[in-house]
Amino acid sequence: MHKLEKTRLDDFLARITEGREVYALEQTGTQYHLVRSAAWQAGKHTLGAFRPVEPLKALVFRPREWLGTLGDTAPDAVIPERIVIGAKNCDIAALKIHDYVFLNTAPADPLYKEAREKTIIVSCDCTDARPVCFCPAVKEQPYPKAGFDINLAPTELGYVVEAGSERGEKLLKKVGDLLVAADEGILKARDQSRQKISRKVCGQTERMGLSCGADLRQAVEKSQGKKIWDDFAEDCVECGACNLICCTCHCFLLADGKGKNDANVRIKQWDACLYRNFATVAGGANPRRHRAERLHNRFDKKFSFFPGVLGSYACDGCGRCVEACTGKIDIREVLKRAVNEL
Amino acid sequence: MSCSPYMPMPAKLEHVVRETANIKTFFVRPQKPLAFKAGQFIELTVPGIGEAPFTPSSSPALSDRIEITIMRAGRLTEKLHALEPGAELAIRGPSGQPYPLEKYRGREVLIVGGGVGLAPLRALLFALFEEADKYKKIFVRYGAKSPSDLVYRKAVEDGWGRKDMDVAITVDKRDDSWSGNEGVVTTILAPDKLKCNPQEGVAVVCGPPIMMKFATLELLHLGYAPENIYLSMEKNMSCGIGKCGHCRLGPYYACKDGPVFSFDRIKHLQKIWD
Repeated sequence: MHKLEKTRLDDFLARITEGREVYALEQTGTQYHLVRSAAWQAGKHTLGAFRPVEPLKALVFRPREWLGTLGDTAPDAVIPERIVIGAKNCDIAALKIHDYVFLNTAPADPLYKEAREKTIIVSCDCTDARPVCFCPAVKEQPYPKAGFDINLAPTELGYVVEAGSERGEKLLKKVGDLLVAADEGILKARDQSRQKISRKVCGQTERMGLSCGADLRQAVEKSQGKKIWDDFAEDCVECGACNLICCTCHCFLLADGKGKNDANVRIKQWDACLYRNFATVAGGANPRRHRAERLHNRFDKKFSFFPGVLGSYACDGCGRCVEACTGKIDIREVLKRAVNEL
Repeated sequence: MSCSPYMPMPAKLEHVVRETANIKTFFVRPQKPLAFKAGQFIELTVPGIGEAPFTPSSSPALSDRIEITIMRAGRLTEKLHALEPGAELAIRGPSGQPYPLEKYRGREVLIVGGGVGLAPLRALLFALFEEADKYKKIFVRYGAKSPSDLVYRKAVEDGWGRKDMDVAITVDKRDDSWSGNEGVVTTILAPDKLKCNPQEGVAVVCGPPIMMKFATLELLHLGYAPENIYLSMEKNMSCGIGKCGHCRLGPYYACKDGPVFSFDRIKHLQKIWD
């Protein structure tokens, strides 16, 4: 555990990002955006107080991936070495889902594997929350415990810098001259900051009526076929925004078409289970014909399927779907009602 | 060749047999032999158009040329049906879990097919024939809408030339050419028409969802245990390797954990027949 003086942050980040494509946060109004840059830009880039609009998954499971030309011998396009600065815990926890799907379920996805290996993650504790943040309700917290290469915890005494992987440690050695050992005082300050932000997020979640620690798996499993889904589906316009902006949603579609010189090509692109024909088979049969069934399916996948196969919810409480939903469906309201109707 | 599991290998369409007005068997030669086990499926690509999952209908003992019996039902199969021998295709797989033959050995095997659903069961039959002495007896019960909708009609009618098989065929609606049974497939599962021992046998069903539903109910009624009834679950699939999320069936992916499920694994799930 190390300590970094506040005044040396930009120097630290400029040096650890050297030679890599940089993904950093940039503030616009009350939101942060995840932007790509050739280098860390002091003043323009920030660690951010909470997660950006764009989910981190988009860097490793890209919205549209080129798989190649049928029968072609050319190697896949190469992903550059990159580093993300300011990733937040919800997005990092979500990578567990993507790792399960794309790495640990054989066969591994070579594009995902390459992107993951070439992406260094420098995370940062949340110091504030969006009004829609609710990570404590899904067994997460607003600071990372694992899944990062380096984590920065801002305190009034400077930053606590922690390596979470071998490559993170190696990177810290490069900037050893900027770091000193973290003392008890700054560690205590970090713990206090973490408690403070945790209390804030938990408080705003519970004020919504959703308790931090409710059994969401049981609530969603028991809700199948009930009126709750018809009621919330009334407002769903099947735009798929909740799926696409979600930090954990991993569904995709392989699509074929014609490329340059009439070549037969294949791409892999994000798909959304709220779309009407997501599960339709040839001949037209659709196991989820009704919007209510599709809406329930989204929750079932997140709160029943993944707890079953992986032991954790496929929801990290980032609240992006609340902000993106065209029909103003609030996932916290849905979960609250499912829990209350248990 | 890209090593991506999403990319197929080239294959050639060698031969096409018309089975019915809307069903054809495609003889496909992959660039390299593609070994599969009965019940596993492959993804067949029409280049530039797309791909879809199909279970081969030929013997798993043959990996250099694979037969796939396909009904014209959607966008891709429409294109497939328009192809002539010599056409370029692409293929990847196999995917999914095979029929657990080790659980069938030493027992009676009842095969129940509906329409084009006999196609994957044909691969299973060929696998059973390879080691026929290991099975007590093989029964085939096959139904189609009309006599002209029966696939592999000649072979089925003469029991694939085997003396040890018990075969019965039915059509939902007869025509002048038909002197056999008329009625849905459950009418030839009735105890007076099927002299088997449900308590100790296994039943394997493939067909349209409505047929599988009623066949399963009838098999349970006859005394087959839920764990001895094997069903092919048709789901929308894209990647075929448990990643894209399309074919989820409760706690399973049909592509990875299926497509064949014993009834006891899925009976508690809602809407499995839709």
